[in-house]
Amino acid sequence: MRQRLRTLFVLTAAVGLALVACNRGSGPALTVVIAEYSKDHTRAFWQNLAEQYTKQGGPKVDLRIIDWNSIDQQVSTMIQNNQPPDVLNLNSFSSYARDGLLYPADDVVSPNTRDDFLDAFARGGQYQGKLYGLPILSSARAFFYNRELFERAGIAAPPKTWDEFVETAKKVQALDAGIVGYALPLGPEEAQAEWSIWMWNGGGDWKAGDAWAINSEPNVRTLGFLADLANRHRVTQVNPGRTNRTDGAFQLFKDGKVGMVMGFSPLAKQLDAEGKVKYGVAEMPTTQPRAITLGVEDYLMAFKKKDNREAVKKFLDLYYQPDNITKWITAEGFLPVTKSGLERMRANAALTPYLDALPNARLVPTTDPAWDRVKLDVQQNIGLAVQPGGNPKEVLDQLQRNAVAAAAAR
Amino acid sequence: MRARRWRALLWLGPSLLLIAGVVFYPAVALVRSSLGRYSVTGLFQGSVGVANYARLLEQPALSTVLVNTATWVTAVVGVTVAVSLALAQLLHQDFPGRTLVRWALIVPWAASLIMTSKLFVWIYDYYFGVLNHLLTSVGVLSRPIDWLGDDATVMGAMIAVGIFVSLPFTTYVLLAGLAGIPGEVYEAARVDGASAWTTYRLVTLPLLQPALLVAVVLNVIYVFNSFPIVWTLNDRNPGFAHDTMITYMYKIAFKSALRDVGLAAALGVVNVALILLAVFAYLKTIRWDDGAPAAGRA
Repeated sequence: MRQRLRTLFVLTAAVGLALVACNRGSGPALTVVIAEYSKDHTRAFWQNLAEQYTKQGGPKVDLRIIDWNSIDQQVSTMIQNNQPPDVLNLNSFSSYARDGLLYPADDVVSPNTRDDFLDAFARGGQYQGKLYGLPILSSARAFFYNRELFERAGIAAPPKTWDEFVETAKKVQALDAGIVGYALPLGPEEAQAEWSIWMWNGGGDWKAGDAWAINSEPNVRTLGFLADLANRHRVTQVNPGRTNRTDGAFQLFKDGKVGMVMGFSPLAKQLDAEGKVKYGVAEMPTTQPRAITLGVEDYLMAFKKKDNREAVKKFLDLYYQPDNITKWITAEGFLPVTKSGLERMRANAALTPYLDALPNARLVPTTDPAWDRVKLDVQQNIGLAVQPGGNPKEVLDQLQRNAVAAAAAR
Repeated sequence: MRARRWRALLWLGPSLLLIAGVVFYPAVALVRSSLGRYSVTGLFQGSVGVANYARLLEQPALSTVLVNTATWVTAVVGVTVAVSLALAQLLHQDFPGRTLVRWALIVPWAASLIMTSKLFVWIYDYYFGVLNHLLTSVGVLSRPIDWLGDDATVMGAMIAVGIFVSLPFTTYVLLAGLAGIPGEVYEAARVDGASAWTTYRLVTLPLLQPALLVAVVLNVIYVFNSFPIVWTLNDRNPGFAHDTMITYMYKIAFKSALRDVGLAAALGVVNVALILLAVFAYLKTIRWDDGAPAAGRA
């Protein structure tokens, strides 16, 4: 009998504890999901912001910092289980807007905040004419070159045209057996970014009007040019279609083995910290009258949930206070998305080339829900075109067919 | 009688709950997902019956992935078991420093799979890798090989890592099996004048069979389900040319243009069925249930 009582007691306690544990999660806490931009700064900033928010009378914040590799999966799981976050940070938004999951910006940020967004980024967050994807931060690519290698190869200035680029790459490549002219990352990690820059500077684009134009004639020419870099001129690293950006192209550049690479401000930050490579930053080599670079905009979005609008609005307005947003963007080494932020960051001379490039930067078509599939398709397949024996036209034709199908499907 | 049954249930309760929660519920959820249509965002858009299974069969990459999976599992498990048999035999002998060697063998097992895989990514690297450096400096290779980027070498490179991390567990299972064989049978074999090889073949191996069975079945399951090695070593390669069923499933759900949770769930169900089938077929061929070699069951 005594034993049975004890068992009963243990079980009751266990059930009680389990209930307590469950109850904590279902409170009115605000769930905020943020991608991890860096180990050092992301959590520190958002933790601090969350505390500030709660101190100002907001609810408790359930802050989740998730690394880029698994954020798509975790967010998808949350939505499958009908437990979306209140605020989400991601590099895409239009599929969520299409699925009717989001508040339009007017519902969740004050007019002041809204008017402060730089025009290009406010446009980049629109779905069917309404702003859903609030710009959280931006970055712009720039052309990085290794000054020491350029000097050794007798190159006076970074190349401006594609012909000059090929000549320069050949000279650098010829320096030494382990030296690479241009590091071309067309592996799955970020191939769409590298490809966008070359595509635009070759005179092509993702879309013509509202229709996808991935296999346009200039694009086929550009991809052929990249394949030639790899297989005819042999001025890239080994297997460029199978090289990722972070641990491939950037790593080689940081190690001083590469003449040229498409970088961005966080790479500059790392290079400065390591102090090993003397580098210069220039505009992209181009076939166009004016060099075009890629701007990348990441988003904050607010999920429609019962009774969460006021709490979400308070949180977003707190983030967009000029002090807060600028503090974080500066810490992470990215670029501003607001007019006030742009002014404040002008003070930093090192950022001038990127800030100058920002107004002319072009964005990938994140406003089209089909982009979420097109991007993955390009990441997974464009590398095949620059492998020995690869066929650029075939690869682009297939990507175009898939894009058209994705646009037609819901 | 009834009271006793109640009490048993009380004691079994927590573990039954646990099994229901972590085995049964996910299985049901998986099957349910496989019958649904999902948006790119993960939003459920209604039921589609078995359409996902039909679409799975139409995927052009499926046959490549199936062949990859078969190669991956047979090669890793086969070589692992063969090498482990030798290693276990060695570690079963008494020699100075045996404890140290036994401990050392645990290391690859204790390390996180992701970390081990990342380490091998750098070992295999074309520009920085130790392997190329070693092979070129001793003259085996005249120029480096892109182990993880060359279609001819990717699978082999992954299999080598798979074997490396599977050896400890397998060796320990077999070592335990060896320790369980009584000394008298060897004495008897010696008295009968059996050679070392004959003793091994006719005494050790049959008596080792239960341990061997455990080693093979568990390894087939682990290796089939192994995600980190293939994912990490193959992450630079476009398309599905070197994926196994597990990484293929992940790519279908989150990393390819398909981006389809329902289709991935269908593949998940197929994976479970495949692994059950493989284990069942293995047990059948070694006649596990109908009077396996008597010695093996001793």
